[in-house]
Amino acid sequence: MSSSTPSGSGLRYPSNKKTIYDRNLNRSKNAELSRAAFAYLFIEMISYAQRSAKDVGDLEQRLNNQGYPLGIRLLDLLLTRSANPLSSIRPTRILPLLQFIAQTLYRHLFGRPADALERSGTDAAQYMIFDNEPLVNSYISLPRELSSLNCAAFVAGVIEGVCDGAGFPTEGVSAHSVGDQDEAAASGGAAAPAEGGKKAAGPLWPGKTVFLIKFKKEVLEREEILARGGG
Amino acid sequence: MSYYFTIFSPTDTPLFTHEFGTSRSGGDGVPHFTTAERSMAPFVLHSALDMVEEVQWGPSTSSGSAPMYLKHIDKYANNFVSCWVTGANVRFLLLTRPRDEALGLGGSGNNRGSLAGGRTGMTGGGGLYNPSAPATEEAVKNFFVEVYEAWVKTVMNPFFHAGNGDVVKSPVFKARVAAAAKKYL
Repeated sequence: MSSSTPSGSGLRYPSNKKTIYDRNLNRSKNAELSRAAFAYLFIEMISYAQRSAKDVGDLEQRLNNQGYPLGIRLLDLLLTRSANPLSSIRPTRILPLLQFIAQTLYRHLFGRPADALERSGTDAAQYMIFDNEPLVNSYISLPRELSSLNCAAFVAGVIEGVCDGAGFPTEGVSAHSVGDQDEAAASGGAAAPAEGGKKAAGPLWPGKTVFLIKFKKEVLEREEILARGGG
Repeated sequence: MSYYFTIFSPTDTPLFTHEFGTSRSGGDGVPHFTTAERSMAPFVLHSALDMVEEVQWGPSTSSGSAPMYLKHIDKYANNFVSCWVTGANVRFLLLTRPRDEALGLGGSGNNRGSLAGGRTGMTGGGGLYNPSAPATEEAVKNFFVEVYEAWVKTVMNPFFHAGNGDVVKSPVFKARVAAAAKKYL
């Protein structure tokens, strides 16, 4: 197939005559990237975004946009890998989708599942994925004027891409750093007993980040109709 | 048997189209659409997208996941439409136009059907084409699975944005689809 290039099609083949179609999708399944290489690349991505960003919000949005296409691609890739291709399934409800993100996607990206998955108590459309120690932030220290920046916005973009791609459009996914008190407020009374001990010893997870996922209204409406059996 | 295969983006833009005939049981792989049928095919497939949206979320009793292969979903005149939905909501639609005999329009003996239709002669009655016969479903599914693998490799390309309506131009992709068609349909 590779040698039968129609002349004049303008298609160029790599020197080893292997197009992407000749490569196995599972080739890099267990491959790991060196953390240093990632950090180096990620720093470049941030400074690229920073160059034209007006403020912190704009910078986070740019990082988000960089992650978004990654999410769309990972969705299909991980779905083909997660199961026998002959029984390919895709998530059709919010919960399986979020579990897919917190388990499968997280394991693929960071080698471990996300630390917690919660639904907001105040807003039914809002879900939260907690990451105690985001890998993308591990070599980043923020200058004072950018103290509200969270570079995990990149990961938020990946999550948004997955949700959007799967047909669960969101109002946006954002990454927020949570201090001790925010954390207690976010997770309600459940975290209260543990909090006492943490206060004394300083925050246990200083880099703890929450990804806020807010689904659009129509997603929740569909979910409700499907649950009722009207679908 | 003639087939008309189209890939639709999540925003309903056709990204790839391939037309072929059966290669099974002496078929030559050439489609035998009439001019009218050929010009109708894109419309039939577009109208079938509505059906896809109705069934793609699965029954309410489902555990939250649905298969990508939605089987036979729509019929218009003599055309049968099967569907596969990828994780990122890209739809593969395959339109099947069985031979006249397999529809009961002709009348001659039916022993030259493709794998996707011929075996129904044993299970279904009278050798009529039956889109939900197990052999047919299996053949179409195998075809979709192969196309899906090639498709995932296509979308891995960082410069390819299915959501923006990027058309698949790769001759290698086309060859892969043609090979899958030849193998299973």
